[in-house]
Amino acid sequence: MDDEFPRRREKFPFGLAHLGLDEVEREIPADEPPPLAPNAALTQIGKDIRRWDAWAKVTGAARYTVDVHLPGMLHAAVLRSPLPHARIRSLDLSPAASAPGVHAALTVVEPPADGVPTVLRYVGQPVAALAADTPALAEAALRLIQVEYEPLPFVVDLDGARRPDAPIVYPDSEWQKSPSAGLPAAAGDLPITGNIRGPESKGSRGDIGAGFAAAEIVVDGTYHTQVQTHCCLEPHAIVAAWHEGGLDVWMSTQFTAGVRAQLARHFQLPLSRVRVRAEAVGGGFGSKSQIGIYGRTAVALSRLAKVPIRLVYRRDEEQMDSGNRPSSEQHLRIGARRDGTLTALSLHSYGSAGIAFGAGVGNMATALYRCPHVESRQYDVFTHAGPACPMRGPGNTQGAFALEQGIDELAGKLAMDPLALRDVIDPSPVRREERRMGAERIGWTQRKPPGADQGPVKRGMGMAQSLWSANIQTNAACELRLWRDGRVEVLSSVQDIGTGVGTVLAQVVAEELGLQPEDIHVRIGDTEFPSGPPSYGSRTTASITPPARTAAWQIKEALFRSVASAWQVDPQRLTVQDGWIHLRDEPQQRISWREAAAALRTDRISAFAGRSDDYAGFRSRSGDAAMALNDLGGVQFAEVAVDTETGVIRVERVVAVQDCGRPINPLQIESQVQGGVLMGVSYALLEERILDTNTGWMLNPNLVDYKLTGAWDTPQIEVVLLENYQGFSATDAYGIAEPANIATAAAIANAVYNAIGVRMRSLPMTPAKVLHALGAVSGGPR
Amino acid sequence: MFPGARAFPEGELTLMKEDPQENEKSAAASVLGPGAVPIVLRVNGETHPLLVEPRTTLAEALRGSLGLTGTKIACNQGACSACSVWLDDLVVASCSILAIEVGERRITTIEGLAAGGRLHPVQEAFIAHDAVQCGFCTPGLVMSCAALLAGNPHPGEAEIQTAISGHLCRCGTYPHVVQAILALADAKGD
Amino acid sequence: MEAFQWQQARSPAEAAALVTQTTAEAMLTLQGTPSAQQAILVKAGGVDMLDLMKEGLVNPRRLVDISRLAELQGISREGDDSLRIGALTTLAQIAAHPGLRQSHAALAQAAAMAASPQIRNRATLGGNLLQRPRCWYLRSAAHHCLRKGGGHCFAFAGDNRYHAIFANHGCAIVHPSTPATALLAFHAQVELLHPQGQRRQVPLEDFFVLPEADMHRENILAAGEILTAVWLPPQIQTNRSIYLQVAEREAFDWPLAAVAVVVDLDAAGLCQRASIVLGAVAPAPWRARQAEALLTGATINGKTAEAAGEAALAGATPLAQNAYKLPLLATLVRRAVLAAAALPQDPRAS
Repeated sequence: MDDEFPRRREKFPFGLAHLGLDEVEREIPADEPPPLAPNAALTQIGKDIRRWDAWAKVTGAARYTVDVHLPGMLHAAVLRSPLPHARIRSLDLSPAASAPGVHAALTVVEPPADGVPTVLRYVGQPVAALAADTPALAEAALRLIQVEYEPLPFVVDLDGARRPDAPIVYPDSEWQKSPSAGLPAAAGDLPITGNIRGPESKGSRGDIGAGFAAAEIVVDGTYHTQVQTHCCLEPHAIVAAWHEGGLDVWMSTQFTAGVRAQLARHFQLPLSRVRVRAEAVGGGFGSKSQIGIYGRTAVALSRLAKVPIRLVYRRDEEQMDSGNRPSSEQHLRIGARRDGTLTALSLHSYGSAGIAFGAGVGNMATALYRCPHVESRQYDVFTHAGPACPMRGPGNTQGAFALEQGIDELAGKLAMDPLALRDVIDPSPVRREERRMGAERIGWTQRKPPGADQGPVKRGMGMAQSLWSANIQTNAACELRLWRDGRVEVLSSVQDIGTGVGTVLAQVVAEELGLQPEDIHVRIGDTEFPSGPPSYGSRTTASITPPARTAAWQIKEALFRSVASAWQVDPQRLTVQDGWIHLRDEPQQRISWREAAAALRTDRISAFAGRSDDYAGFRSRSGDAAMALNDLGGVQFAEVAVDTETGVIRVERVVAVQDCGRPINPLQIESQVQGGVLMGVSYALLEERILDTNTGWMLNPNLVDYKLTGAWDTPQIEVVLLENYQGFSATDAYGIAEPANIATAAAIANAVYNAIGVRMRSLPMTPAKVLHALGAVSGGPR
Repeated sequence: MFPGARAFPEGELTLMKEDPQENEKSAAASVLGPGAVPIVLRVNGETHPLLVEPRTTLAEALRGSLGLTGTKIACNQGACSACSVWLDDLVVASCSILAIEVGERRITTIEGLAAGGRLHPVQEAFIAHDAVQCGFCTPGLVMSCAALLAGNPHPGEAEIQTAISGHLCRCGTYPHVVQAILALADAKGD
Repeated sequence: MEAFQWQQARSPAEAAALVTQTTAEAMLTLQGTPSAQQAILVKAGGVDMLDLMKEGLVNPRRLVDISRLAELQGISREGDDSLRIGALTTLAQIAAHPGLRQSHAALAQAAAMAASPQIRNRATLGGNLLQRPRCWYLRSAAHHCLRKGGGHCFAFAGDNRYHAIFANHGCAIVHPSTPATALLAFHAQVELLHPQGQRRQVPLEDFFVLPEADMHRENILAAGEILTAVWLPPQIQTNRSIYLQVAEREAFDWPLAAVAVVVDLDAAGLCQRASIVLGAVAPAPWRARQAEALLTGATINGKTAEAAGEAALAGATPLAQNAYKLPLLATLVRRAVLAAAALPQDPRAS
């Protein structure tokens, strides 16, 4: 589409900065700025600039959705299914609706009518909701709702759901109404048998039989990964205010613009009449991407009650019904020649996203390594459990646990170093360099053979790789405003969920305008501003920084024209540095930014820019989303100590070598990588949603028994960051959030194998599982 | 979960200060509630008369009646310490204390930490070391770290980790938090 | 949380007179009888009580607050050199008490490992001993289990990874108190105040109740009784003690298994007396009598310590998912015995 617009050719820095840069020529839209120099030559980009909202966050002033209080606001509460599978025979809201302090009540499910039953499919499924003067009154009124449930047979575990006689979650094609667990959404009309849907075979190629026939070495393993919940510290929260002019919503969301679009569609309002705000967001990790049933419920209650409604999940609601990472069972078989070349790779996976679909294990097995014959068969298994949704590196995080252990095992069988094997089979030059750097940093040459340590505590070292697509949101824009008093504002609906995108925006704009980041007023998280990208899919920085720089450049050009006209010079002769506009060749001819702005013809000038296509084009595009030509890599190394007598694994050190194109704020990136690693440590050792197979209830719907890593469980984390220039956009910046999480659990598992010589194929690797794997548990009564 | 603590005074509230019948029976200490009861909270150096139901937690009273929303409720069970405040000199989880039992003890919240608009050194260090991501757990972590330094100006890594061992941070700020406090501990030469 | 009345007790005796039920009784809903939920309950630090109330497991009509009663606070050395720890002494105070850290190291260690700093600042020793078990079925209002007066235990056919491997007949809770493990090893007694004003001291060992005796309670506390103090008998100079636990998380986690060991070695290095108590593996702190007997009169070395670890498992009846606790316990006991024996001769020496 950009073809209709004039373009020009420019030379961009290209390659990995620490190895020396080349140049690459790209054709770029004429209204975009010239190439940005490598970070070493810049003053704001690539620097550890303080987080834009840190002051507000350390003082408690930052306003989250849970802190929003509107006059007349009512408090909503949700009635939830106590049964994992039931038919509602009757449902009567009226006793609750007329209770003291209750102002609105509605059913969330379609109530039974005309012989059409209402079926509930998991414990915690919303049934009805109401709004009252206080949260306590709302909770109390829920108990007055009359529901007659008819219990139905259910199944909550992956094994049970695959049995031929298993209770069926969705009869016929009803699953099509089920929510998607998102990426990797197995789309299309896949067959469904019982509770098993699939297979999704994307990425399969060649002749798997011939591939294994050509193999000289074969490794084979079955891997299990657990259900993980997002555990955002700020629960899901919305304050919805329906009014005559439209709808105002405050929401703890990863995508204000997306929520606006969903609300407009659902409530048949024009986009322009829906406003969504998210000032501060207490984490998302994939679970706050949609308006969701709870969001729609709050809005519907507000429409009914004609006052603002606040709906905030309790922690147990959060754990049971705000999404999760699906489980998986992966049967992985890899065939190779003695030189390490892969000949065949077969992956059969079964995963459960509860009542949702999309429990695949991503494209690790099909895309990370060169292999001519690949068979990938990924199945969803429906269970009577809460729906999954995307979670940090969805699919690939599960997939990495199996694939990267399989490759490690293969290296062992081939008597090859795992790094050397990957040098043979991994086509990515970026990851090759990451392996080299990581090995050097962790001291890979000190690595001992498996189980070599004497004594009960054995140490080991392992590594694993990550693969994630470099995603872009093309529907991503921002506005730059320059006021006559010199103030610069950058505006976008993009939200900062803790990634620091606001800082990054200020840096990019400050760099372009020769100002300081603190001079740039960041106004984001509000759909009254140009639509920004979502904060998911590791795409925010990649999507919003190029338009921010473009808009800043356009503002600068406008201001230059104004100054040049006053000075009667060619605007091309102007430049700006440290807040002064001056002539390139006569620096003493200068004017301060503020003075220059004061001479503007109008109080405010503004520039608007949207995300253009990557200069070399996209690999693929779907709706507002696109994938860049390059993938994001990432290689992580772990050192562990395993107490073979207690089964306790301590992760002592992780070296994370990551790439994200041009790093804009290395300190914030380090923070985010540490977060990804810690979530991976937590996934590897602790976390597990435990459902009772006999009642369908989650047994640990809290943060006591659902265990997250704490400070004491935190390893030393060293982040090594590449500068990878590709000349793809005005900033050449890409994402980091998900690649930082994908490899961690696999790296730890490989380190555990190196420590004890026994492979842990099931997550989480608890003391109980380690003791079992070591053969220390004989069991039985004494 | 969030019983409505209300600002005092509020006209339409039925004040159920004491239950005379109950007191007659037991001839003991006053029976208060279950309706709203007048209490006084000493928060950040100021005295606040309030009406709270006995079931109102300190966290709810701070966030509700007093509008001090810097104190966050994340697990409401003492498991994450996001709601940490000081009760006199002790760090406590305000979700696991009732407002009515605080009495005359001084409460310090995140809003009361920065004195006269100047950030507390812990707050400065958190900013400098990027010990903040989504920020929801941050006020609690700041309160714990500031309490640690008040009693021990030169904590080592293990002492810092123990001081923050009750906190959950899903974004993973622990390494930078420890780094920030270590830097402060080192800088605070006697 | 349901609304309730509030009453500040002015003395332990007043509290005892007011309280109508134990928390355990208030959580009972026997089949066929609707729950009265009209209890007047005592509240100390309130950590566990608020947790139970938020889940709706107990809805008292009134809470009698004893948390401010001065006579229930503090640690004092009594005339006969025994120690009296007031029931309201917090875990943080116990963990930090210089005297206790010398004379009763295992207790201070156990207190320091319980919960988080925030909780330890509020949680009282009395409340910790009386808290309800952590069994997730007990803690879920959706599961009307045996211990709450229901018809069956969900753990046997359900998820029992954290449950008991000893004395788990009918109900497989583990006792949740970590200090209790150490206290039993020191032969502590609890001081109970009766509503009529009498005080009695009960050996901790007799205080706890196993499921086979009564499924509905973890201790013998009667309605209206207030736990006022814990007494520790005088320690002889040669006592050495240690508390060890293994949990999934390094800090702020419930142990999978724990052990407190107190040994008394004579000048020749012979073990005169050994006290070995296991935690998180039984419905009450569990004395490993065979292991104790094995060490008494023996020299502590790798071999005897290992034998003690094996002996500690005697009588274990693990469930489907918790047999891993056996090797864990054996290791913990062996390590704790060896570590205790290697400690400095005089635990009170600074």
